[in-house]
Amino acid sequence: MSGAVPTIAEAARLIAARQLSPVELTRACIERVHKLDDQLHAFVHLTEERALADARTAEAAIMANGPKGPLHGIPIGLKDIVDTKGIPTTCQSKFLQDNIPETDAACAEKLAAAGTVLMGKTTTHEFADGGPSFDLPAPPARNPWNTEHFTAGSSSGTGAGVAAGLILGGIGTDTGGSIRGPAALCGIAGIKPTYGLVSRAGVAPAAFSLDHIGPMAWTAEDCALMLQALAGHDQRDPASASRPILNYTAQLGAGIRGLKIGVIHHFHETDHKVSEGTQRGITAAIGTFRDLGAEIREVQLSPLQDWNACGSLISITERAAAYEEWARTRLGDFSERLRSRLMLGAFVTGVDYVQATRRRRELRAELQAAMRGLDVVLTATQPSEAARIDAVPKWDLFAAPNFTMPFNVAGYPAISVCAGFGAGGLPVAIQLAGKPFQEPTLFRIADAFEKATPFRDRRSPLVAA
Amino acid sequence: MPEIGDEAFEFLLARAGLKLTDEQKAELQTVYSGIAEMAQRVRKPRGRMAEPAHIYDFAEEDLA
Repeated sequence: MSGAVPTIAEAARLIAARQLSPVELTRACIERVHKLDDQLHAFVHLTEERALADARTAEAAIMANGPKGPLHGIPIGLKDIVDTKGIPTTCQSKFLQDNIPETDAACAEKLAAAGTVLMGKTTTHEFADGGPSFDLPAPPARNPWNTEHFTAGSSSGTGAGVAAGLILGGIGTDTGGSIRGPAALCGIAGIKPTYGLVSRAGVAPAAFSLDHIGPMAWTAEDCALMLQALAGHDQRDPASASRPILNYTAQLGAGIRGLKIGVIHHFHETDHKVSEGTQRGITAAIGTFRDLGAEIREVQLSPLQDWNACGSLISITERAAAYEEWARTRLGDFSERLRSRLMLGAFVTGVDYVQATRRRRELRAELQAAMRGLDVVLTATQPSEAARIDAVPKWDLFAAPNFTMPFNVAGYPAISVCAGFGAGGLPVAIQLAGKPFQEPTLFRIADAFEKATPFRDRRSPLVAA
Repeated sequence: MPEIGDEAFEFLLARAGLKLTDEQKAELQTVYSGIAEMAQRVRKPRGRMAEPAHIYDFAEEDLA
């Protein structure tokens, strides 16, 4: 096992061999929550009794008939914008402090059907945008590698929870990087699947046409196991894709010899120059891929600023539309940071929005053309190690373009994996993006990278202690 | 840097139905240029026939 905390794949093998009890595994996670979450704030709502009940049910079923799949008996967390039947779903907002949904979101339903153990609802920025905020009913999550530092957001609790071993995996959502950002800064893996692959039904919107639901876990292999349970068409989501569900672990271990990786150097070297530590991680990763037999090429796209302008205008407008009623009547009840984002909606005209969607079409076509003859493209996920949590600029939207938005604009799948550690001892990451619905190739490459590097063997000092 | 006059700023806020404090208005006015720059950036010489994106499906050429 990878230290004190098993990966999902490791736990699944031990559970199937009846060498690990789901109840004991769950108790170990609960103990870590009690020990660490006062510092981390990864959970908004811990469902301890539900978790133990789920674990006992799983254990009894496994003892009788064996596991129904690799997620059976695995403790997970759900971002608190995911509806959960009978369990508070607050979206970290004053508006929904008493909200107890009557049904599960599609992703919650699917993970429950796979036999997972629900540990609780994980911390998010309010309605998945704008944090870290200190004026909300619950505090922001903190980075397990150094609790004075930020996790990135908005799937911050899931990122911190996985990194600290409070859960083995969890759900994040991603409108401009909210799965991949926390995955990067917390040193775990997180994938934003292809738009439409995982149903958004029952998940609070941030920006309808950019929102994605996806798994976060310690390894790419674990994310593949989770995506297997999550993928599939859902009539309740108008954007849900009617495509066959592939086998997301089928290509793991096949090696990457001959695969073609395009590096978008200008994104992280010119458009938004990353830190020395992150650049070292990227350069070393390219070397690793080359050593594993991949062909490395260079890719040129429109400047990162173009992708961010397009995505931000769409995001600001769709969010302002979704929350317009509350913004008009109770603006003061939003956190300062989300309120500021919502106010920006006043500046974007209908014509601006349509121009952004026309630009989106062009950018997608550009990425499609650039990826002909390639399997994936590579760039940074975050510009550096995590900043101090009290030093995150309120208007970061305008400070510098992010590296994750291009793949929300395009709807293409993208994964973040740990690529080492910076000078401050916090994780750095790379981002790989693939062609639509080609998640098996992404997992193949990400898994090969993780297995060729030592970064999955290192846990945060909090967990080691 | 694109700027916005007080009158236009107040019009946009009123049209959006947002009631802000003077302090919020002053801060928001300072970031108007960021949005204006984004709006300029998405405008390209593309002619009247260029379609918007409807990303709810991927064309076969996307997948090849």
